[in-house]
Amino acid sequence: MQPVIAQYIRPEVVAYAVFFFVLLLTLGGALIAVIPKSIIHNVFGLATSLVGVAGLFIYLGSEFLAMMEILIYVGAICIAIVFAIMLSQPMHLQIPPRLRPKVFFSFVVSLVVFISFTVMVVRTPWEQAVRTSNDWGVKRLGTLLLTRYELLFELISLVLLMSIIGAVITAATASSEKAPGSRDGEEDGV
Amino acid sequence: MNSLTVYLFVALLLFCIGMFGLLQRRSLIGMIISIELMLNAAGINFMAFNRFLGPDPAVGQIMVLFIMGIAAAEAAIALSLTLALFRKLRSINIEHARDLRG
Amino acid sequence: MNPVAPSDFVLWLTLAAMWLPFISFLTIFFITRTQLALSLAVSVSCAAVSLLAAWYLLLGLPAAQPPVEFKMLWMAGAEARISYGFLLDPLSRLMLCIVASISFLVQVYSLGYMAGDDGMAKYYSFLSLFAWSMISLVVAPGLLQLYVFWELVGLSSYLLIGFWHHKFSASEAGKKAFVMTRLGDLGFFLGIIVLLLHLGDLSILKLNAQAAAKLSAGLVTASAVLIFMGVVGKSAQFPLLTWLPDAMEGPTPVSALLHSATMVAAGVYLVSRLFPFYAASPDALMVVLAIGTVTMLLSSTMAMVARDIKQVWAFSTVSQLGFMLMGLGAGSYFAGVFHLTTHAAFKALLFLCSGVFIHHFGSNDMYDIARGGGRRLKVPMITITIAGAALAGVFPAAGFFSKESIMGALAGLPQPGWLAAGLAGAAMTAYYTSRLLFVLWFPRQIAAPHHEEHGHGEAAAHSAFGYWAMGVPLLILAGFALVLGFFGDGILNFLHWGRPPEFFHHVWLAPVSLILVACGIGLAWLEFGRKKAAQAGFLSRLPAVEALFANRWYMDAFYRCMLDYVVYGVFSRLFTLNDRRVVDGGVDGVCRGTVGGGWLLSFLQSGLLQYNLFTMVLIIALVGLYFLVMH
Repeated sequence: MQPVIAQYIRPEVVAYAVFFFVLLLTLGGALIAVIPKSIIHNVFGLATSLVGVAGLFIYLGSEFLAMMEILIYVGAICIAIVFAIMLSQPMHLQIPPRLRPKVFFSFVVSLVVFISFTVMVVRTPWEQAVRTSNDWGVKRLGTLLLTRYELLFELISLVLLMSIIGAVITAATASSEKAPGSRDGEEDGV
Repeated sequence: MNSLTVYLFVALLLFCIGMFGLLQRRSLIGMIISIELMLNAAGINFMAFNRFLGPDPAVGQIMVLFIMGIAAAEAAIALSLTLALFRKLRSINIEHARDLRG
Repeated sequence: MNPVAPSDFVLWLTLAAMWLPFISFLTIFFITRTQLALSLAVSVSCAAVSLLAAWYLLLGLPAAQPPVEFKMLWMAGAEARISYGFLLDPLSRLMLCIVASISFLVQVYSLGYMAGDDGMAKYYSFLSLFAWSMISLVVAPGLLQLYVFWELVGLSSYLLIGFWHHKFSASEAGKKAFVMTRLGDLGFFLGIIVLLLHLGDLSILKLNAQAAAKLSAGLVTASAVLIFMGVVGKSAQFPLLTWLPDAMEGPTPVSALLHSATMVAAGVYLVSRLFPFYAASPDALMVVLAIGTVTMLLSSTMAMVARDIKQVWAFSTVSQLGFMLMGLGAGSYFAGVFHLTTHAAFKALLFLCSGVFIHHFGSNDMYDIARGGGRRLKVPMITITIAGAALAGVFPAAGFFSKESIMGALAGLPQPGWLAAGLAGAAMTAYYTSRLLFVLWFPRQIAAPHHEEHGHGEAAAHSAFGYWAMGVPLLILAGFALVLGFFGDGILNFLHWGRPPEFFHHVWLAPVSLILVACGIGLAWLEFGRKKAAQAGFLSRLPAVEALFANRWYMDAFYRCMLDYVVYGVFSRLFTLNDRRVVDGGVDGVCRGTVGGGWLLSFLQSGLLQYNLFTMVLIIALVGLYFLVMH
C-alpha cells in the first residue's frame, strides 16, 4: 500500500495540495468571517482568512509581507476587534433575525460586482512590464522606504498618529459625555 | 496555480465576500471585519501584479505595507466609533443609528 | 477741405486744454481734497492754462486754414473704425474758447461765492470734471466720442445741480435733469447707431461731407431727427424743457456755467456741428425750426410771470436756445452760432450778477432783493443792466446784433409766420427782462440796510477778496456783452473760412424789431418802472392765463399725470402683475417643486447606511459593466 500512496505524494502534488489548503484557508475563513451570526466566530474566521492571505503572500514571493500580515492583521487588528467586542458587549445583546430581502439584495449586488470584475479580468490582455529590478530583499525595501518613498512613509506615520489621537478623543469624548450626566444624577441623588 | 488569473480570482472572491458582508451585516463590528477582508483582497491584487507584471518587486510590497498602515488606522478609528456609538445607543446595530433619516 | 494733421505744438496745446481739467479733477478728488487752498490753486491754474491754450488756438492759428484733425484708433471692428482725438475747425475753436473762458471766469467767481462752503474742494473738482467733459465734447472729431462726453456732461451737471444734496429739492432737481436729458439721449444714441450701420463711420467731417450723397433722404431725415432728440433733452427744448428751471437748485455759478457755455449749449452746438448734415434734409431743419419756435414762445410766457430771479433767467435761457435753433433751422449757420456766442457772454453775466444778489440777500425772490436794497450794490447792478440790455436786444449790446441776424434768417423764409413768432418772442424777451430790471432798480419800500442778516454767506465771503473775485468776472463779461456784437462780421468770416455766403440784410427789420423791443420795455416801464406803478404785470388781470404760465403750461403736471396714470398706473401695474404672477409664481413653483421633490426623495434617506452602500456599489458596478460590455 505504501508505495501506492507514495507514488501519489509527488512534490508537485504536495505543492498543489498546500496551495489549495492556503486557498481554502483564505476563502473559507472569509466565509466564516461573514456568514455566522456570532461575532466571535467572525473574528476567528477573519484571523483564519488573514493567515491564508499570508500564505498567498509567500506564494507571491514575499516572506516579509507574510510576516507583516500575521503581525499586523492577525496580531494587532484582530485583537483590537476582540477588544472592541468585549468593550461594547454585543455578546449579551440578542441578535435580531436577518432580513431576507437585505441578504438577497446584498448577494445580487455582490454578484453583479463579481461578474463585472470577472469579465474585466478575463478580457484584459495583461502584459509584462520591463523588469528593472529583481531584488525581493527586505534590505531594498527598507532603503526605498527611507529614500524614494520617504514622503509617503512620513505621511502614513502621520495618518496613523492622527488616527490614534482621533480614536482616543472619540472614545474619551463619548465617555465624558456620559460621565457628567451620571455624576449629576448622583449628586441629585445625594 | 502559478498564473496571474488565479490570484486575481482569489482576490476577487475575497473582495466580493467582503462586500457581501459589508452590505448585509448589521453589526458594526461585522462590517469592520468585512472591510478588512476587502482591503486584503486589494493587497493580494497588488502583490499578484507585482509578482507577474510589475517592473520592480519592491514597489508592490511597499504599496501593501501602506495598505496595512491605512488598515490599522482605519481599524483604530472604526473601533473607537463603535465604542462611541455603543455608549450612545447601547447597541452596535447599524440599523439603529438613523439620526440622518430624511 | 481735407483735414490736416496738427503740428506738434498745436497737438500738445490742444491735449493740454482738453486734459488739464481732468487731471485737476483727479488730483483734487483723490489727493488734495482735504487741503482747500491747494485744491483751489490746482483747479484755477489748470483752468487758466486751458483758457490760454484755447485763446491761442482761436487767435493764433490762421483763420482760413483747413480743419486740423488728430485721430488715434480707439476701437476697430469689421465694419467700423472708431477713433479718439480732436478736430479743430473754426466752430470748435470758437466754442472751445467760449467754454474755457466761461469756466475759468466761473471758477474765479466761485472763489468768492462758495467761500466757506464745506464741500468747496469737491465743488471745484466737479467744476473741473465739467470743464473737461465739455471741452472734450467740443473738440470731438467723431460722434461716438462726442456722445461719450455728452453723457459725461450730463453726469457732471447732475453732480453739480445736486451739489447741495442734503437739500431735498436739489437732489430731486439733479435727478430730474439726469432722467429727462437721458430720455433725449436715447434718441441720440439710436441716431448714432443708424448712422453707424449705414455709413460705417462716425467722423463728423465725413458725415457732413458725404452723408447726403451716401444715404437716402429718408435715412438722413430719420437719423437727423433722432439725433435732434438728444438736442431736445440737452438744450431743454419743447417737450423736455421743465428740467432746466428746476436745475436752478444748484449753486448759482453752476447755473451760469450750465446755461451759458456748457450743458445746454451742447445741444445747440451739436446741431451747428452737424449743420451741413442737417442742411441735407429740409424736413429735419423744419423740425428744428418748429421745436425751437414753440419752445421760445412757451418759455417766454413762463418767464413773464416768474418771481424767482433765477427762474426768469432759466426760462430766458430756454427761449434763447429756442432762438438759436430757429436761426439754425432757418438755414443760417452763422446766426445760430453767433447768438450762441453772445448768449454765452450775457447769460453767464446775468447769472453771476444774480448770484451776487442771492449771495448777499439770501433770497431768490426779486421783490425781496429789491426791498433789501439790491440797487446799492453798484457793480452787479450796472453789469446786470448791461446784460439785460443784451438779452433784450437793445441796440449797442451784443444781443441786438445776434438776434438781428436770426431775424434776418427768419425773414428769408417763405412763410412770414416764423418771423412774426420771432418778433413776438423778442418783444416778450424785452418785456420780462426789463420787468425784472425795473423791479430791482425801483423798489417800492427799501428796508434799512442791515448787514447782520446776510444769507448763507459768512463774513469771509464779504471780504474784499471775495467781493472782487466775484466782481472782476462780472466786469470782464460785461465788456464782452457790450462789444461782442460788433465782431459779428469777423465771426461770420471766421466761421465760413473767409468766404461767407450771401447774407441778406433786411433794412426794415432792425427798426421794426427795435420798435417792438421798445414796446416791451415801455410796457414794463408802465407796469413796474414809473413811480405810481403797481408793480403787477398785465397778466395778473387774467388770472387763468397767469396761472397757466406760472404753472409752466401744466407741463410738469402733465408729466406727473403721465407718470402716475400711464407709467405707474398701466406699466407698473402690468409689471407688478407680471412680477407677482409670472416671476414670483415661477420662483414659488420652483421652491415648491424643490420642497416637494425633497420630501419625496427624503424617503430614500432612510438613515440606513447599507442602503446607501447598496445604491453606490450597484451603480458603480453597473457603470463598469456597461463599459465592459460596450468595448
